[in-house]
Amino acid sequence: MMQRKERKPYWRHTKWQMLASVVPFLVLIIVLPLYAAGLNTERFLGFPLGYFLSAHGIAVVAVFTVASFVNRQDAIDHWHGAHEDM
Amino acid sequence: MSIPSRTRFVNPRLGTYFGIFVSSLAGIVLLLIIFEQLGAPDIVLRWAMLLGPLALYAAVGLCVPTREPLEFFAAGRRVPAGYTGLGIATATMGATGIVAMTGIFYLIGFDVLCLVIGGLAGFVIMAVMLAPFFRKFGTFTVPSYLGRRFESRMVRLVAAALLSVPMLLLLAAELRMGAFAAGWLVGRPDSLMVVMLVFAIIVTVVVGGMRSLTWSSSAQAITAILALIVPVAIVAVMVTNFPLPQLTHGPLLRALIYSEAAQGVPIIDAPTLAFALPGEGYAAIAKRFTAPFGSVGPTAFVVAMLTVMTGVAASPWLLPRVTMTPGVYETRKSLGWATVYFGLVMLTAASIAVFMRDFVMDIVKDGGTTLPEWMRHLVALGFVQVDIGADALNIASFKFSRDTVLLSLPIAAGLPDVFTYFAAAGIVAAALVTAGTAAVALANVLAEDVINGLSWDPLPKDARLWVGRIAIAGIALIGGTIALLAPTDPLRLLLWCLAITGSTVFPVLVFSIWWKRINAFGAIAGLVCGFAVAVLTILAGEANILSFDSALAGIFGLPAGALGALLASAATPGPSRSMLELVREIRIPGGEVIYDREMRMLRLKNRDYS
Repeated sequence: MMQRKERKPYWRHTKWQMLASVVPFLVLIIVLPLYAAGLNTERFLGFPLGYFLSAHGIAVVAVFTVASFVNRQDAIDHWHGAHEDM
Repeated sequence: MSIPSRTRFVNPRLGTYFGIFVSSLAGIVLLLIIFEQLGAPDIVLRWAMLLGPLALYAAVGLCVPTREPLEFFAAGRRVPAGYTGLGIATATMGATGIVAMTGIFYLIGFDVLCLVIGGLAGFVIMAVMLAPFFRKFGTFTVPSYLGRRFESRMVRLVAAALLSVPMLLLLAAELRMGAFAAGWLVGRPDSLMVVMLVFAIIVTVVVGGMRSLTWSSSAQAITAILALIVPVAIVAVMVTNFPLPQLTHGPLLRALIYSEAAQGVPIIDAPTLAFALPGEGYAAIAKRFTAPFGSVGPTAFVVAMLTVMTGVAASPWLLPRVTMTPGVYETRKSLGWATVYFGLVMLTAASIAVFMRDFVMDIVKDGGTTLPEWMRHLVALGFVQVDIGADALNIASFKFSRDTVLLSLPIAAGLPDVFTYFAAAGIVAAALVTAGTAAVALANVLAEDVINGLSWDPLPKDARLWVGRIAIAGIALIGGTIALLAPTDPLRLLLWCLAITGSTVFPVLVFSIWWKRINAFGAIAGLVCGFAVAVLTILAGEANILSFDSALAGIFGLPAGALGALLASAATPGPSRSMLELVREIRIPGGEVIYDREMRMLRLKNRDYS
């Protein structure tokens, strides 16, 4: 059970984790496609790089973002005693 | 050995049950392939491919009836993350997303990535900012959450009224797309197939509500994904010698780029707010596959991406599904699985488009004047129109119907007809997942937030379940009627649905968790402003009053919703002490589910309630 005095530190920690997960991802998905035409001159696995990063790359980054968020937020929950009962 | 509570309630035989389902499905497909080779009548194969899986889904749904409200509205909160993610990924854009996006990938290539990236980003935002808190609250519908969060019946009723519009649009879109595939499969009118799909949804989910929907839609999602992936994996083995089309079509794409250049396929520079996604009907390849911003301008690309992202993240037909997981941690994980499945489906759609472009390019690159057998077959089926002039065929000679590109691949590759029928059955399955999810979510809103919207106490147990069942049947029938009466492009309906959803409820949902100062006035203002501005923008876009496409309605709707919530909250008294305490409780994953505690207290007060 979480102690009352832990509420504020827990929420501050959670907010930073949210920003660390969301902001870089949003910047990436907005900026990367805008430079796809320039990157298409390079190749990776036979794919034009701009297309590959915009399709496969962003999908992989999305999965990685959620996975790392799940991992880190669970650690934050346990650190502050805010986790679900086992 | 102690078992943690996260897995205590999960049925350990789920893998066995779905193994049996997959074996049955594979058995149907293999038997039909054998019957095809033995010369069985084509119409028998087609009906068997439609009705066989439908019977399996109905059996799954009917096998899990319930008389408990928690089971009926939240599947007992014991659906593992993987199955929840599977359902969410398939229900996000459903058959419309899979079919239309494959066609659009073929016709315009890169530019449709705005919708794909938007969907992926929607899952990320949902996982990080919304779903865990919604799961902690535990209500069965989004309006119910908003009403309780802001301690206002008016918020609940307004949210219920406004959110029913996008859910009906989605339901109609999916029924139309499913009816198109089913109608093509068995050669019957689409209108008859709409009626059949509505009947299938009612039979499958009415006895168990969300519980029936969860397990039947898992079966349907597995069918949809297998039907999408298996034919293209076989084609990938034939073309690239490796059964991973999502990763191995790179060299093919490189060759395609050279062929496109040789054929003079244009590189277009679209205006920054252009949003020219191909609609229903026939169209030729518009631009080179990997060249960006030829049909969708850069600004429109970003706006469409953010519109889809907010619409997916706040969708009132997906959020209730996260409340069915055993806990907050499983909810977060389920969105990770949804991202994996959605990415897999969309990358498969892209690879199908590349293979189809390559097949068509093979016809034209030698300056041929005759059509191969498979292309004549596609023309006879009405999938393609070929403009055969006096000169040699070129890439502009082939006009594909957008929604038939997916079905064309097995034919182009010379696979047995059953693979094409399997692909059509997969489209029907994907349509049933999304239509069923939208119908049950909307029916729960009707039963819980409209019919009983003026009371916080639920109806007595039996009455509550019967109202829920009647609402499911009623909503499915209304959705079918709209699909029959409003023959609009399903992709348009989907994009409008996401734009309205994002504009209406995304800002309010985010503020309800991350900004304590928001109050009931702000919530109502945010909901109404976002909805009104989005709908007006769509109407103005359709009437050509605005210079951009109506699908980009979020460009005004989202800021309007956010500003409405912010300004109205700032101009009115702050939230009560009890509301602040509620927000603090939502933010902590541990402890009892808030809605379940409310129901437990009610049970203690009156044993007639559940």
